[in-house]
Amino acid sequence: MTETNGYNLRLYVAGQTPKSIAAIANLKKICEQHLPGRYEIEIIDLMKDPALAVRHQIVAIPTLIRQLPEPLKRIIGDLSNTEKVLVGLDIRPT
Amino acid sequence: MSPRDPKLPLFENADETVAAIHQGDVDAVVVMHSLEGPQVILLHGAEEPYRVLVERMSDGALTTGPDGVILYVNDRLCEQTGYPSARLVGRDLASLFEGEPPTLVPEVTAEASLLRNDNDAMPVAVWSRPISIGDTTATLVRLTDLSIRRRAEQIAAAERFARSVLEQSTEAIVVLSPDGHITHASGPAEQLAWRPPIGCLFSEAFSLEASTNEDAGTRARFSAESLDTILATKPFHGVEVKVRGDGHAKPTFLLSAGPLVDEHRANVGSIVTLTDITERKRAEEQQATLVAELNHRVKNILAIVQSVAAQTLRSSGSLENFSDAFAGRLKALAIAHDVLTETRWVGIGLSELLAAVLAPFRSPGGTRVSISGPAILLPARTVVPLSMVLNEMTTNATKYGALSTPNGTVGITWLVTGGSEKSVELIWLERGGPEVTGVARNGFGTKLIDHVIRHDLDGSTRIDFDPAGARWTIVFSVSSLTAGQGAAAAPATV
Repeated sequence: MTETNGYNLRLYVAGQTPKSIAAIANLKKICEQHLPGRYEIEIIDLMKDPALAVRHQIVAIPTLIRQLPEPLKRIIGDLSNTEKVLVGLDIRPT
Repeated sequence: MSPRDPKLPLFENADETVAAIHQGDVDAVVVMHSLEGPQVILLHGAEEPYRVLVERMSDGALTTGPDGVILYVNDRLCEQTGYPSARLVGRDLASLFEGEPPTLVPEVTAEASLLRNDNDAMPVAVWSRPISIGDTTATLVRLTDLSIRRRAEQIAAAERFARSVLEQSTEAIVVLSPDGHITHASGPAEQLAWRPPIGCLFSEAFSLEASTNEDAGTRARFSAESLDTILATKPFHGVEVKVRGDGHAKPTFLLSAGPLVDEHRANVGSIVTLTDITERKRAEEQQATLVAELNHRVKNILAIVQSVAAQTLRSSGSLENFSDAFAGRLKALAIAHDVLTETRWVGIGLSELLAAVLAPFRSPGGTRVSISGPAILLPARTVVPLSMVLNEMTTNATKYGALSTPNGTVGITWLVTGGSEKSVELIWLERGGPEVTGVARNGFGTKLIDHVIRHDLDGSTRIDFDPAGARWTIVFSVSSLTAGQGAAAAPATV
């Protein structure tokens, strides 16, 4: 992955709550469809380590953070609205 | 605790967060606790019991999306694989397995090898069922560790194998624990023990004594305590012992012990074998006896040959006479030894001995020599002297008596007399030969007959010179007779 076109995404979840499970599945699907080979996902389970919520000031779960490309962006929810995710992450159709 | 990312403005999305919570887009929130730091608060739903069950179950569990991507793993699965959940979530389920991944059929258990981060693989049972989590259709997969069960199966199989070996063994084999107690015993070992051996010390189950008296050092090792210690802890090979049983016979065994090691080559006991060598010992003793007996007999034969040679020499007028007489007597000796060898020195019937000695004088269908008397088994000790006597009588008849003329006959008959000490009275009757004038033939042959019967056969001899032919009466003792000794045997003609 290169800095010019790579997406570094971090998804905060809480165990296997329905929204967490849905968010993981939706994010994976969206990335495969719109960012094939250009993304990296890190999934943080705050049930296992709640302290990790501090770094990105996570209040609601699930929350997706776009770390790269900058600027840092945040989307709250289970990512079931693909259009909203694409707009929120500033992803242009390839 | 991770520091706050400085790139992120404080509460940048506060409105969005509140809206998301109100709209039901989230099902958990993080609250800051003044002492314990951030805490995750779940907004509980109907699936809460399921969630708790999966998270805390003792089997590994994961949830996959419709495309097989792992969405969630529980702590147990992290332990099973050795990977943190972050390394597992997002991967394809198939990548967790070594070789062919299991085909997921709802409610059906399959077996597979789960890859671990230590490059080892764990046998697992894989079970799955489809579930709905919120709006997401997912599959719950449970992975049960089969290592312990496999290990138990291997131990059970090894135990069955060992038991099968012991049960099929024809030797007495026992397995001792390190403290000397018997844990397994083969069938022959159980029969040899004077009490049920399992659980006993070796010395409690088997009563041993040294095989030979002179082996005092070995005997000293058979005190119960020292034997139990030695057998359980040290290799112990090839000591002959006798086992005291219920009967009078004490069979001889070769006692051996060797260490029993487990898969890590640690000593977990010993295997003790008692090999029955009674028959081998008996054969060795019999062989030693036979060698001594053979040595004795060879010396006897040499003495006889020496004596016969000396006396034949004294009574022979010429070298030619000596040669004929000596050859005949050696031949009688040879026949006797052939008979004894064939019968394994047990002895031979009198009829058979007569047939063998008189074979050179028989003619096919001829009636010159007839043999008739009850069946008698001659003891081995009588075969050589009787052969010598019969050879001399045959030689006499050939030279001077009935067998020296074309029409002469010899009739040999015998009776069994006496009580517990049986004797044979044998009549040698010559007819049809030259007229007997009453002049005694007093050559070496006659002397030899008389000497041998008196000294070697503990008997007596008498010769009557009837003008029609000579009549020899020989009485000698036999220590054993065949069954049916009183019955008249069918007359035989040689």
